[in-house]
Amino acid sequence: MYHFDWITFWNYIWPPSAFQNPLIRNGLIATILVSIIAQALGVILGLIAALGKMSKLAAFRWLSEIYVWYFRGTPLLVQMSLLFFGLGVTHIYNFPDIVVGAITITGAIQAGTLALGINEGAYMAEIVRAGIESIDPGQMEAAKSLGMTSGLAMQRIVLPQAAKVIIPPLGNEFNNMMKTTSLMEVISAGELFFGFNQINARVFKPFELYIAASLYYLVLTTIWSFVQARIESGLGERKGLERGPGMMQRLFGSSGEGAH
Amino acid sequence: MVTPNVKLADSNIIVKAEKVNKHFGSLHVLKDINIEVLKNEVVVIIGPSGSGKSTFLRCINHLEKINSGHIYVNGHMIGYHDRNGKLVEDNERNIARQRAEIGMVFQRFNLFPHLTAIENIIEAPTRVRKTPADQARADGERLLARVGLVDKRDQYPNQLSGGQQQRVAIARALAMKPSLMLFDEPTSALDPEMIGEVLDVMKELAHEMTMIVVSHEMGFARAAADRIVFVDEGQIIEQASPDDFFTKPRSERTQLFLSQILH
Ligand SMILES: Nc1ncnc2c1ncn2[C@@H]1O[C@H](COP(=O)(O)OP(=O)(O)OP(=O)(O)O)[C@@H](O)[C@H]1O
Ligand SMILES: [Mg+2]
Repeated sequence: MYHFDWITFWNYIWPPSAFQNPLIRNGLIATILVSIIAQALGVILGLIAALGKMSKLAAFRWLSEIYVWYFRGTPLLVQMSLLFFGLGVTHIYNFPDIVVGAITITGAIQAGTLALGINEGAYMAEIVRAGIESIDPGQMEAAKSLGMTSGLAMQRIVLPQAAKVIIPPLGNEFNNMMKTTSLMEVISAGELFFGFNQINARVFKPFELYIAASLYYLVLTTIWSFVQARIESGLGERKGLERGPGMMQRLFGSSGEGAH
Repeated sequence: MVTPNVKLADSNIIVKAEKVNKHFGSLHVLKDINIEVLKNEVVVIIGPSGSGKSTFLRCINHLEKINSGHIYVNGHMIGYHDRNGKLVEDNERNIARQRAEIGMVFQRFNLFPHLTAIENIIEAPTRVRKTPADQARADGERLLARVGLVDKRDQYPNQLSGGQQQRVAIARALAMKPSLMLFDEPTSALDPEMIGEVLDVMKELAHEMTMIVVSHEMGFARAAADRIVFVDEGQIIEQASPDDFFTKPRSERTQLFLSQILH
């Protein structure tokens, strides 16, 4: 019978002791910041790639297609390793540590964030494109008939409407993103999972520590679910969007009767 | 950059189409269309479903490309310019500039659902014409008053009835101060009780500006049209004043069509 070490367990999840540990505190901060920055990068790249896919210029279309094809068709773990170790060894680019005051942003964190963001962009491209395509083409025509160029019409008329379609899946992407940051462990970027692995290397309590680690992610994704529900209901109230899934369905997944 | 355009001599001609042909794949939708529309004239186009009426309107503001022929609005060739004797499609900016002078009203209104009535109206003046916002708003409110909807200024399209939406759409098109208005079956998506309010607005506009209206509202055609153009299978079959058109249609196809729609 395994003896569960409650002391170790509490020690690494309960403040203040848990947050006094720099591996956990900095790891948690890194996980949150990396998630936000990588997701933002993904949205920007996804928007560019989605517009590229619909471009009149064949070169943009091809570039966007290849981007999405490659980054959705290969494992993120491999992409991340290639970007960090692969580029490093060729001396094409070595990610240098950046020091801003008391904070050091390690090369691994930069490479990991970049890999996550580029990978995410490929998925966001499809989400953005589906959002744009869900808008009645009559909207673009009406805008053009008023003398707007397609760029202005996209920016002012189509994208604001598409945003309502894009935001719910974008929220789900961010939920995934927070969990996927743990893959950065392979390049030893100092995020949360890396921190727990470091601790485990010292105290060897994998059962307790990995349960503790999982709870951190669970708290993050749960908080995000509430934020997401607020955002979506706000959108719905203002602009007549359909109601998003309820809180229970969001947390426990759609099941039987709840699904439609 | 200003592209050289073929100028037409007669400034009284607002629209001129010369031998316009349009194909969708193997489907020949417009066949050698020739027509001139004069300043402040109201032309009503009628014809069976699929005869190419919408397509012709959409060619006038270059929402559809034509395969051959020329269309001029205000003396400027639409969508193309002449380069060493060859027609080349204009760049997007020029096409947009030309479209700004041509108002279009759609069957399904196509109001911008994320903007209120007044925002729908001032969007293009402020963004395209760079009219200062307060001036655009004042102009917009005047237009809303004109279509009888000042009190709906801050409503979103989904809070308006179909007839109200279409009146806002007309105001939106007018806000660009176009020299030509195109209406593509503006009342055919409306409940019968709302058709009148939209036609009334259109009747008020008639003869203040040049209008090309695709409509099967014969009452409107009789009351407001200077000329009725009957189109079938992509060809202009007959054109005449409303009186002549309804009382002594010349071609058999016109007679058949009229007997069908007038029961
Ligand atoms: N984008 C398109 N691609 C292919 N075919 C088209 C397209 N638009 C219209 N057509 C075809 O061209 C023909 C003319 O269509 P158009 O919409 O101009 O007719 P219409 O006279 O306006 O008819 P209705 O009274 O039903 O509105 C029809 O056969 C239609 O199916
Ligand atoms: Mg039509």
